[in-house]
Amino acid sequence: MPTLKINHERCTQCRMCYVACRELNLNAVHVALEPLHRLEIDPHKCTYPVCTVCLAYCPAEGSIVEAESGRWVVPPPADVHRWWLKKELSAFSR
Amino acid sequence: MHPLLEQFLEKWVWPTAPGARGAAFRLRITEEKCLKGWEIALQRSLAEIEKGLASGNDDWQRRVALGGYAGEGVQMSIKQMSAQLLSVDLTEQEHYIDLQRMRARQVWDECKHSKLHAEVLMAKGWIKDERELLHNAAAHTQPLPAYFGLSMMFPHIHPLARAAQHYFVEAIACLGIAAYIHLVDDPMVRHEHLSQRDEELMHFMEGKYKIDTYCTTLENQKPVEDTLDFLLHRLRVSL
Repeated sequence: MPTLKINHERCTQCRMCYVACRELNLNAVHVALEPLHRLEIDPHKCTYPVCTVCLAYCPAEGSIVEAESGRWVVPPPADVHRWWLKKELSAFSR
Repeated sequence: MHPLLEQFLEKWVWPTAPGARGAAFRLRITEEKCLKGWEIALQRSLAEIEKGLASGNDDWQRRVALGGYAGEGVQMSIKQMSAQLLSVDLTEQEHYIDLQRMRARQVWDECKHSKLHAEVLMAKGWIKDERELLHNAAAHTQPLPAYFGLSMMFPHIHPLARAAQHYFVEAIACLGIAAYIHLVDDPMVRHEHLSQRDEELMHFMEGKYKIDTYCTTLENQKPVEDTLDFLLHRLRVSL
């Protein structure tokens, strides 16, 4: 399974990913005390690509990447973001 | 729909966390209410920038930059964050560590942007030094009275009304920045706008997240609908 990591060159430390991840009780995003109290993602707790909550609320393009491929996933590309809600809405309006 | 708005929607509005319980509501109000306001605001920004560019000199940029200084200053941040903390008793505030950290980050961010703004003004030759900026009356006035002061707090006193304000108004700020970057070919001014872009988006995301997470009942959706109606009304009146 692919895992996520934070690109600190792009991250603005706004904590949206931390708050959203904590809301789901995953707590995969945490403040690492060493070396610089920066936000980090624990690959053992993160359930990506099942969960993409941090990607939906991160405002800094390119700040979260797939650890293996290095691909930017903020904003979430179409193959990562499943557009499930748009589909649900269009089904509802029909 | 303007391509800049379409791009904003594809990148930042439609992507939704799977299972977000208030998201269907957010997408409905986006399509029914926000899109109208965002389109009007974007067209207005583009028209103003194009008019300025057509004038053939950069006096309009200087005027806009000086007028906007107060709006980007630290005082605005302190007012805004204080408004969010007011509902929490002083003795209770230590329990809201996230809020305090966000406040500290916000003040730091505003300092950084104010400094960058002053540096751009000096580098462009629009002011000689920061003292001159402080003495410029235009730099300390805003067209709206106390935007983040008491007059705006009452309509947004409900936390989800604040979320709606973030979602609707900060999107307009993001679109304004996108319009500027799209049309203006000045490396220093572009750099300053790019620096502000993530900041505006963060506030938009705060609103998006709060609506997706908490607007799960009609009772919780009402303050958001009411605020959007209020903001749309204001936008139309000002046109």
